[in-house]
Amino acid sequence: MKKIRVSKNRLAVTILAGIVLVLFFATVAGLVFYRDMIRRLGEVQEEVYTEYPRLYAYIAEDPDSQLSKRIYKEITEYAQQNGCYVEMTGQNLTKNYSKADRINIAISSKVDGIILEGDNSAETSALCKKAIENNIPVVTVLSDCEESSRTSFVNLNNVDLGKEYGRQLAKLRGEKPTASTLNAVILLDTDTRNSDDTIYRSIMAFMAGGTVSLSSYTVDTSTPFATQEKIMKKLDELDKQNNIPDVIVCLNDRTTESTIQCIVEKNLVGKTKILGYYDSETILKAIEKGSVSVTFTVEADTIAKQCINLLNEYNDTGLPSNYATAGYIKIDRTNVAKYYPEEDKNEG
Amino acid sequence: MKANFFANMKISRKLVAVFLATSVIAMGVNIFIYFNLNQALNKINSVFASNISLNELSDGLNKTHQGLTGYLETKGTDDLELYFASYQNVKVMMRQLNSNITDSNVKLSERDIRNMLDTYLKTADEAVQAKRGRNIDEYTAKYNECTKIKDYLNTYIYSVNNEQFRTNSENYMALVNSLRYTEIMSVLIFAVASVMNILLIIILTSTITRPLTRLSAKADEISQGSPENVEPLEVYSEDEVGKVTRAFNEMLASIKDYIARIRTQLITQSEMKEKNLLMETHLKDAQLKYLQSQINPHFLFNTLNAGAQLAMMEGADRTVEYIRNMADFFRYNVKKSSETVKLSEEIELVDSYMYILNVRYAGEILFEKDIDESLLNVMVPSMIIQPLVENSIKYGIKDLEPGEGKVTLSVYREDKMCCIRVSDNGIGTDEEIIEKIMNHEKRPSETRGVGITNVMARLDLYYNNKEVFEMKSRKNEGTHVTIKIPLEGENV
Repeated sequence: MKKIRVSKNRLAVTILAGIVLVLFFATVAGLVFYRDMIRRLGEVQEEVYTEYPRLYAYIAEDPDSQLSKRIYKEITEYAQQNGCYVEMTGQNLTKNYSKADRINIAISSKVDGIILEGDNSAETSALCKKAIENNIPVVTVLSDCEESSRTSFVNLNNVDLGKEYGRQLAKLRGEKPTASTLNAVILLDTDTRNSDDTIYRSIMAFMAGGTVSLSSYTVDTSTPFATQEKIMKKLDELDKQNNIPDVIVCLNDRTTESTIQCIVEKNLVGKTKILGYYDSETILKAIEKGSVSVTFTVEADTIAKQCINLLNEYNDTGLPSNYATAGYIKIDRTNVAKYYPEEDKNEG
Repeated sequence: MKANFFANMKISRKLVAVFLATSVIAMGVNIFIYFNLNQALNKINSVFASNISLNELSDGLNKTHQGLTGYLETKGTDDLELYFASYQNVKVMMRQLNSNITDSNVKLSERDIRNMLDTYLKTADEAVQAKRGRNIDEYTAKYNECTKIKDYLNTYIYSVNNEQFRTNSENYMALVNSLRYTEIMSVLIFAVASVMNILLIIILTSTITRPLTRLSAKADEISQGSPENVEPLEVYSEDEVGKVTRAFNEMLASIKDYIARIRTQLITQSEMKEKNLLMETHLKDAQLKYLQSQINPHFLFNTLNAGAQLAMMEGADRTVEYIRNMADFFRYNVKKSSETVKLSEEIELVDSYMYILNVRYAGEILFEKDIDESLLNVMVPSMIIQPLVENSIKYGIKDLEPGEGKVTLSVYREDKMCCIRVSDNGIGTDEEIIEKIMNHEKRPSETRGVGITNVMARLDLYYNNKEVFEMKSRKNEGTHVTIKIPLEGENV
């Protein structure tokens, strides 16, 4: 009887000791887990990023334009594939800086190269010079900075573009009675006067001696929301003069989209044709509907490749390649379907 | 080994060890959790550290520019000092900014800020140098350049600060949410550790109290009686309880031993009582036999006295003497039969007896006495000499020719003993008979009157089996019976 009691006591103590051992390990495991939890607290906020050996700055005339964004996107993708990173200088800041300031920022922040949408202003030329002095190669794109000592220029061949616009005008003229004159207006942008002027001159040269009346109208696209208002105002003015144009030639995405909207508002669809620029969704839809006869868009991927290759080549060898070219793509009702973004195609 | 070590520790140390162990566990868990929680809080605090350092950087830049402006304007030393102090400060802070090109907007902006700061500081340095060279155009141009860069920097810092604040706020919320889980975890750990501590205390204190409980249970068993059936406890430890258990076991053994001794003593006592009863029985038996064989003493005294008076009236003096001696002899028997008496009284009895016998046997028995008078007051059991003398006459000298028989009574001192010897010159006693008498095999019934066996039995009882009786004899050389009374107690 006593022996049983003793063995019961011993059993109870053994069980308790076992429980204590289990609890001890549970406590230790808990503490280890707790420590791990605390350690992971810091890890959660760690940002994962990739490092690159080179940084290039992309400075567009209008960073908010769709074309600039498209080109930046292509450049970024190609750059990352080729071991460098491109930042759109001046973006994501609380303040909007002028192109000159953005060039200055790029120089001050010691980038390895600048991709610049050039112009022929003295200020830009001086800044290009300053960049070169600071051993920063400058590649101009879309439009050149002829007076500067920029390293390279990726030419879009705006003369050819002008000729193409001219061909389209001639074609539209051909659709009209032979006695009548095709009344066309070309909308020029103050900011990109350089490339616009080239295109305009090329159109004029192509149309010389023809029965096309081509007048130009300058639209300031630098102020947000003003573009559409100004085009509408011009159309109202022409309407009052009973001189609604048969064709409106637009040389950038903003003016193209604004003109599409104005034509719809003024119920001029089918009466006034638009020769557009760029291939935004709005523009593509307008082609389908017939308000835009044709639009031209740059080969953004080609531009991107050439810009990055030129800069990398310069940085690797120290030898500049002065010139590279990229073309335009013509989009009309015959080929508009293939230019829709992938997701829209899928939805369709 | 460890268990033995713990078991052999003193109770006070055991208790200290128990509380120390549990306290150390609780304290360890607390410190660990406190340390980690502190680390977590530091992490939370450090979430906005980037904002703070960017603000400090902005302040430093503005102060540098303020110093630069002041110096270029007035060439004041205070401004220059401010410029240099802020310059160094900004340079130190600048080094903490990211310098790598990454696809993270914030990191990239940090890199831009760092490089722009470097450009700013170089340009500012050049402006200061130009000021020292008093080249107004140059330092003005440099200053304008610095102002522009400062403006870019402030915009960048502000923008990055905003971006970081947004990210940091998200991180802060994530951290605070995660911290809630860690709080739950820490509470769980505390609970588990507390349960473990409680169980540990129960186990360890039970190892201390269990032996005490067993001891108390044993004590209960003993208190309920029959401790001789209680088994001793096993000693598992050498602590105080172990010592008490050992002492308890010894005490239990002592109790058992004591009980055994008492039991033996009781047996001895009952044996003693038995002996006393036997002695009394013997004495009464002797008296009974004596009384049965004699005439009622009172009646006898009266008749003897009447006889003595008659003899006196008739002038028979010898008859008077005889009758008186007879009366003395029987009176002694009646009076002293159950008492201790002085040796002198015993001798007087023998004298009376011999007188009577000599009257009876007409002076045929020669009786001699050799007495050490210093021993006359020695106390002896009554009726021990007369039976011996009677025995000598009856079995020793009975068959001798009249006048040849001789009985000698000697009282002498030997080795602190009072020796009483009764000798005769009779036919002696067979050794076989002596052996029988000495071994108490010869029953009193085999003798007539108060016999030697009765004397021996009483002496044995009175002197607790000490060999006080001695009987020696040779064929035809008589028998010598000696009683050795120890001279101790009242007889010293």
